[in-house]
Amino acid sequence: MSAADLAGITLLTLRVGLVATLLILVPGVATGWVLARARFPGLSLVRATILLPMVLPPVAVGLFLLELLARSFPVGAALQRLLGEPVLLTWWAAVIASAVMSFPLLVLGAEQGFAAVPRRLEQVAATLGASRARIFLRVTLPLAARAILYGLVFAFARGLGEFGATTLVAGRIPGKTETLALAIYGRIEEFRDRDAALLSLISVLLAFSITALAETCLRGRRR
Amino acid sequence: MNAFDLRARYGGFSLEAAASWDAPAAALFGASGSGKTTILEALAGLRPEVAGAVQLRGRRLDDRPARERRVGWVPQDASLFPHLTVRQNLEFAATARPGAPRGIDDATEALELGPLLDRRASALSGGERQRAALARALASRPDFLLLDEPLASIDRPLRVRVLPFLQAIPACLGIPFLLVSHDPLEVQALATHAIVLERGRVVASGSPRSLFPSAALFGSLDALQAENVFEVAVVDTHPGGLRVRTPAGLELEMAALAGFPAPRRVAVRAEEVLLATRPPEGLSAQNVLAGVLEALEPHEGQVLARVRSGGERWTARVTARAAERLGLAPGGPVYLVIKAHAILPAA
Repeated sequence: MSAADLAGITLLTLRVGLVATLLILVPGVATGWVLARARFPGLSLVRATILLPMVLPPVAVGLFLLELLARSFPVGAALQRLLGEPVLLTWWAAVIASAVMSFPLLVLGAEQGFAAVPRRLEQVAATLGASRARIFLRVTLPLAARAILYGLVFAFARGLGEFGATTLVAGRIPGKTETLALAIYGRIEEFRDRDAALLSLISVLLAFSITALAETCLRGRRR
Repeated sequence: MNAFDLRARYGGFSLEAAASWDAPAAALFGASGSGKTTILEALAGLRPEVAGAVQLRGRRLDDRPARERRVGWVPQDASLFPHLTVRQNLEFAATARPGAPRGIDDATEALELGPLLDRRASALSGGERQRAALARALASRPDFLLLDEPLASIDRPLRVRVLPFLQAIPACLGIPFLLVSHDPLEVQALATHAIVLERGRVVASGSPRSLFPSAALFGSLDALQAENVFEVAVVDTHPGGLRVRTPAGLELEMAALAGFPAPRRVAVRAEEVLLATRPPEGLSAQNVLAGVLEALEPHEGQVLARVRSGGERWTARVTARAAERLGLAPGGPVYLVIKAHAILPAA
């Protein structure tokens, strides 16, 4: 395996992980806020549904996505119009699989962050005349930021290692959809154990740097 | 004109309280659980479960959200934004409403916040937080202030300096306030109108002086008679101190408070008044008043001595043992000894 192959696989993995994380950032934080603050009948059902990808076998989620993203399905058809090609077996499919699998981790982090913000602080801000948007941006969000960042880091890390759902919807096309996890599996199947070990080592290094970076950032934010 | 007529029922507690008042310095007085904090928060627009009418300074508020009520609410726990510095807390308030931001300097100076401005709210002591929260409320240019136990977490020495600032708010800043307190002395010192609450009902209202000495409304009010409050006029000022005179002509020497307005009333806690049976000499205390002991009343294991001196009635609290050793007897001459620093300014 050439250095270019290694670099290509690593970069693709990072790209898929980053785009997936960016994609879920706003909806994930918003969902976390709703779960922490809204009270309506059926809330626990909504939470259970959102957390489903965490507890289901990833392959089962992949199967569901396979149906959803197929051309014959409205979601798949809409994405095809957007991308100009069928979404299955593209790196976008890998992004979607990563996003779906890592979404609950971000939601959980954000929910805990928002739940820990004392309502009283928001009430004080309201009596001072602050608008809802200002209260959210200047009081609620900064106070929940730590937990949201943790959720984001875990979501990103989870996305990087996504295998089960990705393999179903994105396949394993070298240079196109072959991320680290898929490449490791492929090399093992082909009895190229040295390559598999090398790719695993890169995974370990990536995971370490992400965790270390997050720790540094979060420590800086600690009060 | 200020008024509320509020009703709520939750968890075995029912609130059915109505009151109206004009005084710029008013107090909700009652024991814990009497509903005073609930009412204060309902006035601020923070208790959707409390129904009823609210009017402050003639403005109908109950149909407006908290954001539009223009009330400065200072909760008992201060609730400063912990991720911001004191300065940022004040600036948040100063810029929250559209319009020209109010300078944060006045409140900063009067509340001695200067050295604290760049500290994070989470690094302040209880009293510092309380002062910062008050300054923050003022920075939002409120029409009305709602203060929940404003002096509770401020320690005694500083209380003497914060008290005059609170007293001066209605007159100097033009902002009336309603405070919540369970401390009768605090109510007497700060408010000219008190609304007395008991288990969610208003049971009395009026001037604290008329309410407290006579009211047999509360068991706890017995203790109030022990406190000494006098109307005063300043007759002389000199470096570090001032001389005040009561309507009956009694003159008292008290410590001056730099930068604060002259007091119109003063308060002395009964336990701060020393008793002597012979004229004491060589004391640093500035006030030695000859008087006649009118009565001795046992009170909570101690003795309250009622003394008439200089045309005013005084109450001193001494231990039963001290009363016995001194051989105190009603009708006998006594001398009251009061340090200048024990005389606190009141509203």
